[in-house]
Amino acid sequence: MTGLFDEQGFIDEAVEMVRESIPAPGKAIIACSGGVDSMVTATLASRAIGDRLLAIYVDSGLMRKGETEEVEAMMKRMGINYRVVRAADEYFDALKGIEDPEGKRKAIGEKFIRVFERQAREFGATYLLQGTIAPDWIESGDGVRDTIKSHHNVGGLPKDMNMTLVEPLRDLYKDEVRQVARKLGVEASERQPFPGPALAIRCLGEVTPEKVEIVREACFIVEDEIMKAVGAKEAVRPWQYFAVLLPSKSVGVQGDRRAYGYTVAVRAVDSVDGMTATFSKLPLEILNRISVRITDEMKSQVNRVVYDITSKPPATIEWE
Amino acid sequence: MKVYVVDNGGQWTHREWRVLKYLKVETKIVPNTTPFDELKDLDGLVLSGGAPSVACDSNRMGNNGDYLDMATFPILGICAGMQFMSQHFGSTLGPANVPEFGEVRLKVSDHSDLFAGLPDEFVVWGSHNDEVKTVPEGFRLTASSPSCKVEGIACVDRPLYGVQFHPEVENSEHGTEIFQNFLNIIKDRK
Repeated sequence: MTGLFDEQGFIDEAVEMVRESIPAPGKAIIACSGGVDSMVTATLASRAIGDRLLAIYVDSGLMRKGETEEVEAMMKRMGINYRVVRAADEYFDALKGIEDPEGKRKAIGEKFIRVFERQAREFGATYLLQGTIAPDWIESGDGVRDTIKSHHNVGGLPKDMNMTLVEPLRDLYKDEVRQVARKLGVEASERQPFPGPALAIRCLGEVTPEKVEIVREACFIVEDEIMKAVGAKEAVRPWQYFAVLLPSKSVGVQGDRRAYGYTVAVRAVDSVDGMTATFSKLPLEILNRISVRITDEMKSQVNRVVYDITSKPPATIEWE
Repeated sequence: MKVYVVDNGGQWTHREWRVLKYLKVETKIVPNTTPFDELKDLDGLVLSGGAPSVACDSNRMGNNGDYLDMATFPILGICAGMQFMSQHFGSTLGPANVPEFGEVRLKVSDHSDLFAGLPDEFVVWGSHNDEVKTVPEGFRLTASSPSCKVEGIACVDRPLYGVQFHPEVENSEHGTEIFQNFLNIIKDRK
């Protein structure tokens, strides 16, 4: 059910909300991944408080292929104050030895806040703006709600954080954020959802730079093949599409030699709000192209590709 | 029109709020510990679903019982909300023989209220581990599915309604119309 959401009304209220929450001369930083939620928040906040805002993009070493450059260019075109923080080593250190998905999410959530605190101190900011939307706090759980997964920007926040949170999109879902983004002319309006913990949760089990490299390349192939197929009108663009690196190995045969490599799961889902989803019924020919390209180009690491045919519920969209 | 949503801890409580908001109703999510006194001027109430297994964790269902006993306005119980309603009026709950997650093929047997104007069969989405084993006394069965007999109930002499599935999620067909029918019931009583 779309079309009943009043974007302009929301924009006016949100700008006012940010203005009231961060009175002059107060300064704020905004956690900016380059996704539609944070870019909309940045645009609204920039209207509300102008130069008292600094956008921070963190290159956690867990982002997709070419993403840091892409997001930096976008922020430059937006004409806001921004800074790119390169902190891959810190994130990999924090993730060392952690296999549990919740442990990974919490370690990443805490790391983000420590990076933001340092940046805030330098800029003289006491407020942290986040593009938190409804599914983030719903799934993170609270007094009455089960924790499905701790979203890094809610359930992953450390208790001793010393910045005041401002989250103007808390009551919106992704489809509504996109409507606002289109109205505001935000360039990121159609970017597919990408979780804050990034490739760390697409790499089941312990996260290492080597495994992230594998899943980064596999994700790139999935995105590239699907977008090519969408461009050729062979398929409707799914809501979200990516690869997951499974922690187990299986036997294969490559050029008459025994192979023993990883399995990549391909996931593509259709959804409106991320709270329910069905797996995308992609034409088999597209899945075939993805499979062949992954196992050819990544032959030293991956010798098997599977397609995830589960809806949410009972599964979630991301695997961790 | 004022219709609030009682939060029993569901993943989709906020979606119920969104549907009501889209239907231009004055709405708010309230904790299930809210005293009935603070809700007595409403025009209707939705009891959300939630993680508690109602049969074992009824202490986590707060004041839902008070609302059901004291309200004269219509109440719609969804998932755990319907399970609590059924148990409150004397029927038994238990683990579902076949739990349903995602797609459910709904078969409507009574079109007189929530399902007015809707087809006899359509797809809705559910997400439940427990189920209502028998229709409570004084209620009639309004819908079933191949895996779950009690998918919809309505009280015979009071405006109390329940559904086991989730009309508030995008994948449920006719979900908005079910909410609209609930609002029509409220309107017709005024």
